[in-house]
Amino acid sequence: MDFIPHDDKIIGEMLKNLGLSDLDDLFDDIPKDLIEKQLNIPPGLSEPDLLNKLKTISKENKIYQSSFLGAGNYFHYIPSLVDFVISRSEFYTAYTPYQAEASQGFLQAIYEYQSIISRLTEMDVTNASMYDGSTALAEAAIMSTILTNKNIVVILEGIHPEYIQVVKTYCWGQNIELRIVSQEDLMDNLSEEIASVMLQSPNFFGDIEDVTEISQRIKKSAPNCIIVQIMTDPTCLGVLKPPGLTNIDIFVAEGQSFGICPSFGGPGLGIFTTKQKYLRKIPGRLVGKTKELYGEREGFILTLQAREQHIRREKASSNICTNQALCALSALIYLLSLGSYGLREIAIQNIQKAHYLKERLVEIPGYKILNTKPTYNEFLLKCPDIEKFINELKISDILPPLRISSYYPNMKNVLLVCVTESNSKDSLDTFIRIASKFKVKNVGEL
Amino acid sequence: MDTKIIFEKSINRSNENFIPKMDIVAKDIAQIIPNSLIRKELPLPNVPEVEIVRHYVNLSNRNYGVDTGMYPLGSCTMKYNPKINEIIGRIPGFSQIHPLQEENQGSLKVLMELSKFLVEITGMEGFTLQPAAGAHGELVGLLIMKKYFEHNKIRKTKIIVPDSAHGTNPASAKMAGFSIIELQSNKQGEVPLDHLEYAMKQGDVAGIMLTNPNTLGVFDRNIKEITRIVHENGGFCYYDGANLNPMLGVCRPGDMGFDIVHLNLHKTFSTPHGGGGPGSGPVGVVETLIPYLPEPCLISNKEGLICVERKSTSIGRIKAFWGNFGIILRAYSYILALGAEGLSKVGRISVLNANYLRNTLKKRYYLPYDRMCKHEFVLSDKGIPNGVTTEDIAKRILDYGMYAPTIYFPLIVNGALMIEPTETETRNNLDRFIDILFKILDEAEENPDILKKAPFNTPIGRLDAVLAARSPKLRE
Repeated sequence: MDFIPHDDKIIGEMLKNLGLSDLDDLFDDIPKDLIEKQLNIPPGLSEPDLLNKLKTISKENKIYQSSFLGAGNYFHYIPSLVDFVISRSEFYTAYTPYQAEASQGFLQAIYEYQSIISRLTEMDVTNASMYDGSTALAEAAIMSTILTNKNIVVILEGIHPEYIQVVKTYCWGQNIELRIVSQEDLMDNLSEEIASVMLQSPNFFGDIEDVTEISQRIKKSAPNCIIVQIMTDPTCLGVLKPPGLTNIDIFVAEGQSFGICPSFGGPGLGIFTTKQKYLRKIPGRLVGKTKELYGEREGFILTLQAREQHIRREKASSNICTNQALCALSALIYLLSLGSYGLREIAIQNIQKAHYLKERLVEIPGYKILNTKPTYNEFLLKCPDIEKFINELKISDILPPLRISSYYPNMKNVLLVCVTESNSKDSLDTFIRIASKFKVKNVGEL
Repeated sequence: MDTKIIFEKSINRSNENFIPKMDIVAKDIAQIIPNSLIRKELPLPNVPEVEIVRHYVNLSNRNYGVDTGMYPLGSCTMKYNPKINEIIGRIPGFSQIHPLQEENQGSLKVLMELSKFLVEITGMEGFTLQPAAGAHGELVGLLIMKKYFEHNKIRKTKIIVPDSAHGTNPASAKMAGFSIIELQSNKQGEVPLDHLEYAMKQGDVAGIMLTNPNTLGVFDRNIKEITRIVHENGGFCYYDGANLNPMLGVCRPGDMGFDIVHLNLHKTFSTPHGGGGPGSGPVGVVETLIPYLPEPCLISNKEGLICVERKSTSIGRIKAFWGNFGIILRAYSYILALGAEGLSKVGRISVLNANYLRNTLKKRYYLPYDRMCKHEFVLSDKGIPNGVTTEDIAKRILDYGMYAPTIYFPLIVNGALMIEPTETETRNNLDRFIDILFKILDEAEENPDILKKAPFNTPIGRLDAVLAARSPKLRE
């Protein structure tokens, strides 16, 4: 296959226009020994053959009937409207809207995305998106050092372990000191030297933190310190107190839960929000409302570009250029489809279904819930025989929860269980039935 | 047309269409979550389904994409996005796969196979598909350099970036902790070898970031000399792959002497730009630098299974999970569809189309670097009469139903118009673009006012950028 729209006659005429006789003459300025012979790549495929080949490869992945796996990537129902809208090719085949007058559709949609995320989070300002939750968190760390002119970032345990790794890499790049501390040790680590404290709630283990209380404590010891909150499943904001009301300075999230399919973990959506007073240091693109120069109609345009790399070069607040615009559009359509009632109802179902499972699992001898704080849709389950349990779940066509030891090798026999509104009662009861099969028979085994 | 903001279409009625029926007997959440952690209000709109659909169909009609028409945006490679790739991206066996599930050999195979193809296409020896975009790839490439020098206890603090480079280059170098030495291009738009040698001799220079062909669309004929000078002075050569399209199947960065290459799958390999993303910016390296690639790295084990390989020297993780897999999959599908023969046509026809435009447009527009170009070329506003600016020309192009070129970039050309047609435009479209640009020149002479106030035929007239920045209104 190829997508060349010329026939040989046209190519011949175009070459003649240039005074050339052969396509290779176009490359006369390249040293001869650099010119490639044939690439060692297989011959091209037609559409049907290509589709067959990829469908065959996809069969080496397994799709399960139901899932209890989350840990940063979630199976939520995606309303039909989402794929319908993002499949409009006037949207998905456009570039970053540099020519505003020919890009009003996407610009308005991003403006609406910024608005709806600001309302959801109660934060003043939302940017047009970052790559994902992990890089949004890393950019928040950098932004906090720019805002405070300090060089130490404190990150609380309980942040997604892969996100911590990403922040580590970014901080190493910029020679920012990163301290990873437990909540108990947090107060000992606070001082005037700290640029920011970063925390996750609900955290990686499922705990909903009392962010209001934590942020008050931090501000008492380090009033100028930037507090950053991250979350990996923001559907919880249908019920939980938003960061704008808990004294958070920068709120970031992974937005995959908002209408983006799992797709092996990418693309997702980096949600980035902050307070008005930090606007001029926010990384990434912003869409603003303005007016016509020679008329009165309102329209939309990329704005505050003096922060960005194409203007400021090495003085820019970030190097980000391409972001995740189409995923931001997905999130917008997701939130609009659900509306205030729907998002609240989804969040309630996540809480109630996870709670239903928790209550029944603790009744089975040998199983223990390790969370002591309230949880959203994930929790830690200690199991008597984790491998047999996982195996049996797979046999029953259930995608098992994460073995937490894959990130924390010392935490043996613990699963991070995730329950969303997509888990039917049937799947929950099957999970409970299989767990019971591997219960501890006599208390002595405990 | 109704151009209200979606929030104005909210009604006071909840929509239950997308909520599964609750099938368990549930406790009240007040008994599960303390009241102090619960929000009192949720200020989201409730818009009827039919109105959501119409709103965004109408907005899409106010937006221009590659599927609308020619999109000659320089350095952005706005080629046709094959529709089959969208179907493949939605195969449930890929789109419904969790990044942490164990039965994932299909996805890992796509990652491995695409890496092998990119190795062959670029002449590198190892690849990571983790970076989410071109600028992200630049950062990764520079961090790899940084790690190499740190690991080998060599002090390097500077990076050379020519003044013709993409803005992301210096911004990325700064994010990797380097300071920048800017190198001025010579009259041919190429890197002056004596200046390069002088800069490299400064001692702690880690290397150079270069794109070739450069942002003037010019292939640097001294490329082998450039990479030799950098190597002889202990530096690495970084290739900004934003401009790889004309080199596809013609000439490989690895053979030019580059050590690190980033690619933009959303440019060269036909994945849609999505209105500004998601993209994907894989990074390839020569063998010496493979130990420093980001995590996770993939390897085939004895049983032929693909698994993750740990490397203590890695720069670490730069994104959660496996990269923008959905985009990676589309690029893999594009390479499979084209094959070696199809790929070699991409480079050649993209250069043919660009030169066809250049050779005709230069008859009436000033072309500061007048020689055979590659994928793009840059015109200047010099000689345009009556104070008509590059921006005026760009806005007027929109009136004639085409998208505008990249403007005011590269910075080394005054009033630059950077034009990249790509290989997927017909000669008719190219001819029409030429007609439009010539017609605009006539207008500049006869009726400049119409250019200064353009556009008129777009959904909205020319917007006030100064007002937008002076009192930012970023949300409802």
